[in-house]
Amino acid sequence: MSAHAAPSTADLVARWRDEPAPLLPLLHALHDRDGFLSEDALRAVSQALRIPLADLFGTVTFYHHFSREPGGLNKPRICTGNVCCLHGGNELLAALKSQGATAMPCAGRCDEPVPVLRGHEQLVGTSATSLAAKPTPLPAPNPGGCEECIFESIREPGRATLEGYRRTGGYEALSKAVREMTPTQLLALVTESKLAGRGGAGFPTGVKWQAVADAPGQPKSIVCNADEGEPGCFKDRAIMDYDPHALLEGMALAGFATGAPRGFIYLRYEYPETFRILERAIAEAEKAGLLGVNILGGVFNFTIHLRRGAGAYICGEEGSLLNSLEGKHPFPRNKPPFPVTHGFENLPTAVNNVETLASVPPIVRKGAAWYRGLGRNAHAGTKLISLSGDIQHPGNYEVPIGLPLKTLLHDWAGGPQTGRTIQAVTMAGLSGGFLAGDALDCTLDEPSIRGKGSFLGAGGIIVFDDSRDMVAAAHAAMEFFAHESCGKCFPCRIGTQRLTERLNGEAGPSDLAAWTQEVRDIGTVMRATSACGLGMAAPFVTDSLLKFFPEQVDNYVVSKEPNNR
Amino acid sequence: MSNPLADMAKPDVIFCIGTNMTECHPVAATGLKKAMARGAKLIVADPRRIKLAELADVYLPIRVGSDVALLLAMAHVIEREGLMNRAFIEHRTAGWEDFRRNLKAFTPEWAAAICEVPAADIERAGLIYGRGRPAAIYYTLGITEHICGVDNVQSLCNLALMTGNLGVEGGGINPMRGQNNIQGCGDCGAETFVFPGSVKIDDVAARDKFANAYQRPDLDLGQAMTKVTGLQECGKSIHAMLIDGENTVVSDPDRNHCEHALKSLDHLVVIDIFMTETAKLAHVVLPATAWAETDGVACNTERRVQRLRAAVPPPGEAKPDWWIIAEIAKRLGIPGFDFQSPADVFNELCSLSPTYGGLDWERVSRESLNWPVPTKDHPGTPILHTEGFTNGRGRFMVLGYRDPAEVVDDAFPVWLTTGRRLQSYHTRTQTGRASGIDYLLSEESLEVNPADAEAWGFLDGDWAIVTSRRGEVKIKVRSTDRSPRGTVFASFSFADVPVNNLTGSGYDPTTHTAELKVCAVRIERAPVTLESAHDPREPENAHAR
Amino acid sequence: MSATATERELTMTLDGEAVGFRAGETIYQVAQRTKKSIPTLCYDERLEAFGACRLCVVEVDGVKAPVASCTTKATAGMVVRTDSPIIEKYRKTLLELVVSENREVDVSPLRGFASQEFTTLVDRYGARTGRFKGRQSGTSNKTDDNPFILRDYDLCISCYRCVRVCAEQEGDYAITMMNRGFGTQITTEFNGRLKDSACTFCGQCVQTCPTGALADKKALRAADLPGEIAKTRTICPYCGVGCSVDLLTKGDRLIGVQPAMDGPANQGALCIKGQFAFDFVQHDDRLKKPLVRQPDGSFKETEWDEALDLAAAGFRRSLKEHGRRSIYGIASGRAPHEAAYSMQKFIRAGFGTHYIDNCSRA
Repeated sequence: MSAHAAPSTADLVARWRDEPAPLLPLLHALHDRDGFLSEDALRAVSQALRIPLADLFGTVTFYHHFSREPGGLNKPRICTGNVCCLHGGNELLAALKSQGATAMPCAGRCDEPVPVLRGHEQLVGTSATSLAAKPTPLPAPNPGGCEECIFESIREPGRATLEGYRRTGGYEALSKAVREMTPTQLLALVTESKLAGRGGAGFPTGVKWQAVADAPGQPKSIVCNADEGEPGCFKDRAIMDYDPHALLEGMALAGFATGAPRGFIYLRYEYPETFRILERAIAEAEKAGLLGVNILGGVFNFTIHLRRGAGAYICGEEGSLLNSLEGKHPFPRNKPPFPVTHGFENLPTAVNNVETLASVPPIVRKGAAWYRGLGRNAHAGTKLISLSGDIQHPGNYEVPIGLPLKTLLHDWAGGPQTGRTIQAVTMAGLSGGFLAGDALDCTLDEPSIRGKGSFLGAGGIIVFDDSRDMVAAAHAAMEFFAHESCGKCFPCRIGTQRLTERLNGEAGPSDLAAWTQEVRDIGTVMRATSACGLGMAAPFVTDSLLKFFPEQVDNYVVSKEPNNR
Repeated sequence: MSNPLADMAKPDVIFCIGTNMTECHPVAATGLKKAMARGAKLIVADPRRIKLAELADVYLPIRVGSDVALLLAMAHVIEREGLMNRAFIEHRTAGWEDFRRNLKAFTPEWAAAICEVPAADIERAGLIYGRGRPAAIYYTLGITEHICGVDNVQSLCNLALMTGNLGVEGGGINPMRGQNNIQGCGDCGAETFVFPGSVKIDDVAARDKFANAYQRPDLDLGQAMTKVTGLQECGKSIHAMLIDGENTVVSDPDRNHCEHALKSLDHLVVIDIFMTETAKLAHVVLPATAWAETDGVACNTERRVQRLRAAVPPPGEAKPDWWIIAEIAKRLGIPGFDFQSPADVFNELCSLSPTYGGLDWERVSRESLNWPVPTKDHPGTPILHTEGFTNGRGRFMVLGYRDPAEVVDDAFPVWLTTGRRLQSYHTRTQTGRASGIDYLLSEESLEVNPADAEAWGFLDGDWAIVTSRRGEVKIKVRSTDRSPRGTVFASFSFADVPVNNLTGSGYDPTTHTAELKVCAVRIERAPVTLESAHDPREPENAHAR
Repeated sequence: MSATATERELTMTLDGEAVGFRAGETIYQVAQRTKKSIPTLCYDERLEAFGACRLCVVEVDGVKAPVASCTTKATAGMVVRTDSPIIEKYRKTLLELVVSENREVDVSPLRGFASQEFTTLVDRYGARTGRFKGRQSGTSNKTDDNPFILRDYDLCISCYRCVRVCAEQEGDYAITMMNRGFGTQITTEFNGRLKDSACTFCGQCVQTCPTGALADKKALRAADLPGEIAKTRTICPYCGVGCSVDLLTKGDRLIGVQPAMDGPANQGALCIKGQFAFDFVQHDDRLKKPLVRQPDGSFKETEWDEALDLAAAGFRRSLKEHGRRSIYGIASGRAPHEAAYSMQKFIRAGFGTHYIDNCSRA
């Protein structure tokens, strides 16, 4: 390929123009070719896809990683997310400044900081000289000896290839469904398993699929939300890198159950290697007749299209994701109507998380009762937890739902570094704010964690030991939300900004009572009136800060001292 | 228009021919864009690649003056594919069989050779229009300002009749009127063929009614004279003329002829708000009140009758047009001009016009209605022909194609077509005096296809002499993809680039509408002289006074 | 089941009162109809509801969080409260936040039709408290030299009405939002001048802007002119569409034009000519006195009586020397009915011919 001349714009336009969801791949093709998105390129795209130029320009500027400056793609972008901040992300950024380095929000490599994006590669390292491309860390064998659903075979060598996947039971579920089951039977099985959305919302998967199956309109779609943007979450990446066919098989099963002939994987930009792995897996599956037309020689057709985001946390919100996929400005959509009736291109669509979809093949193979039995205390199934921060053994763990948090932290992951104690953990990545003190006595299931004033969400947990300044941690979290606020609704757009300013001393009253009142009032109005989950969840950070660390807040507002112990 | 403007957002298919709507009727075009956002299909036929062309599903860059050929071929496709509305044809029309037989020869391939567009595109346009339920047609002067203007309009009628797209919401044939009250002007009978209310002047009863009302027993029955003939007769049979607010010299074709005609009058009275090129030829110039200074009534392109209100006093001693005309009439002893107010004038119109019978000053001040409004309790008529046509059945007209009056040849090898631009209006008596407009459009230019510009050796901004059989103008060249090869465009808005020196090759034999849209020209480099370095806004044409 | 039967069943409770509604109506639309004054900054009834400002949130029984009334459809049996103390508190906090991001709250009404909406709401809720100080959003564009539209984005609150009106109403898609979150900047393609964009200067963005961030530069020239602003409803003088407009005057001066939002032909739309090309009316070139031509070809100002006498005399002479078929009249498509009617009557009643025509054939 490199021996050939770069493809012309006309070639690239012709390659993508008639594909579904063509905007992002066409923009990426031009961005990859030129190293940035030139005015000429955007004019060509505008004309080819009949997207007004102003709209296209605005949409391109929305994404963090589309560069409009020559050479932008090849400049290093350093993760300065909450976890990488704890591991020298800011220092690495400073060291690479001379190469034109810029900061980027959490890039989902919290188990092995610090990730750096350059060109088409993700590198990892904590110093300018140690940067190297490394494979995603493989999940460790289950430390609790618990039976697993998703990770059961992930450690088998070669599992990422079609051959390896089939060796360990891969595509048996699809084969069983297509040859022995009706869509109705499959829907019933998934409903019985009590599988629920693992991206954080926890909506029963069977009910969602049933709604799509029942909704009028074709073609329906299965959209896999692989925009794993929540800071402190990196579980979907492990699945896709080591078990990509599990996701493809799960999507095909979803298509079979709902009557959808097409699927889309919306993958976050920051996972370039994952993109290549999925591309290969899709090609293998198509070649083997496991995707495409007449799957396994039957009448079932299902095609998967791989699409890549460009750096926008909000695109993990399903309305934004669908808008992004359709080439529109990635604002969230007003609901109702919901995607199950009005999703991709206004047609019935199931939007499911990677983990949810990858759970389906084992459920189909082993049965609903088996899956339900994996949980504890009457909770059904398992949950992947991405654990990072000040902990001995960061990484992804598949836990039975209902496992005590402290069992995970201390028995499974080795507890804090020697000589330290755990001061706080975040929940739901950053969206659930902090838990500390007695609130750490909870179990890993929604009812328990909601009882402590937070939520489990997508399952990202960041640990802060007693050396950390929690106001600074809250600031980093709020800065992330401000950076990622789409700007559509007023409370989130202004609120995240004002809270960030109040957490770094840039603005706000110096009187503690007035400061607290402003922060609480902003939080209240954000939670009550924001248009999507981002603005509703962001105040968990400030609320939990005020709840668990009033003395650190006091010290910060009144004495302007860092809380460094 | 047969249908109201509000219908523009409703069709499934919109066929725009000879209308640069986004520039000439921008607000109407917003309705069209809304229809498209809803999923409507758009067919655009225009020699120039105008903005509408960019929006179109099918764009037909037809050669200027070849409209009839295109429309016949579209009808051919609709007939061949059986897309007609047979019930409509049977119950509402006449002459179908003759028309249908005549269509056989007019294949898309036949039209493609004349229109210089691919037959496949003509085929596609025919299919799309034929399947539209409803499908609406919009056109402006790009259809009428040809020697075959009537044939063009009739061809459009044939399409609408055969598909039953008349009298239905979101359908119709909709000419977009270019001036704020040009529709009203006709409604008032200020048009040689009709009395107020669009009643023909050869209608005996109407003649008698007006002869009686105007105390003019010898009022002619018939005997129209169009403005075109009127101007030709200047100095021959016509010796005196009253012109109200029209810059005839700049807006009419063949400016040299027009100037010569007006100069040969014994007496010319012009009523206007500015000293226009036409007013400069008058013996008496009378200052009128302008818009925003005048109470009155106007009728828009969808036949909606609306009140105009004065907000500021006129400058100096300017007076309303009706007052000025009445004062002259009274001095001539013409009866019936004792009007005290615009309300008096309007109420008299309503009393004599069947289409305005239900209107009066008080009512139009309260509500705006689409005529016909025959009675005081009538709610107006947004859509025409819902029940039937005024003259019974809609008649198909058997037509053929004719070349324009002038076709390109060795001496004049380039087509010139003319029109308006968004930022300027007509002869710029108004927009030329509105601050800021110059920021966007300060001078006229000749739009030339980039390949032609290169072939003819022009760079942007170079001066060219454009010559037709009637005259010449000097104009700056600007290359743009909007112009197809072999066709150039200019607007008639700038007095210093009197494009209508060139036009006027012929007239429609029925309506006497001038063929302003097409003529044959030759384009040469202007010699480099001191003169060409002058400010382009200074009048420098040899014929300008 | 007949449609009317269905409609009769559709009722909801709004602040304790039962109200009927039509299928598809939003809570906001029902409230509007029943004269409730729900505040909003991002709503323009001509545009699709967007749900950005969140000021219109209301409480719905059985729904945990308040809902945006503009994007939530009414359903049968729904129980809604539009003005509970908690909701009113949210609105005040939201307005305090919006005040905190702007350079100023009070702006000249000449900026545009909707320019006072923000000021009015801030005063209604007493939201000038000075709380929530911090960085300001939006940056005014000082380099765009166009003579029509002021781009004073220091006052922008990212309600996106301009973006939406340009797309949904005007269909030009010239305006966009650059970047995101608090860094959102309303602009055009490649963040350039309006002149270099798809903008046609129709002014619709100006007229829907609720803060005056987009403003009518031409009208603002009269900001310091003494006198009250008066509005007069009339019809645009340009093409045949017949857009309804309100003329803005101060004393005897015509200072601007605003579209009539309820204009039957335009629903608040105008084009560059109707919006901005009004000042020919009071241009110095206007004819102020009758003129008669002198033997040397020049014109002399004169009194009406003399001019009218001369005008009449010419026609009388022609009538006498050449007969009634020697006189022709050309009416204007630009003047009102009264002019056109008088012209044709002048010819028909005066000379018994139909030698009258207009410019429609040119």
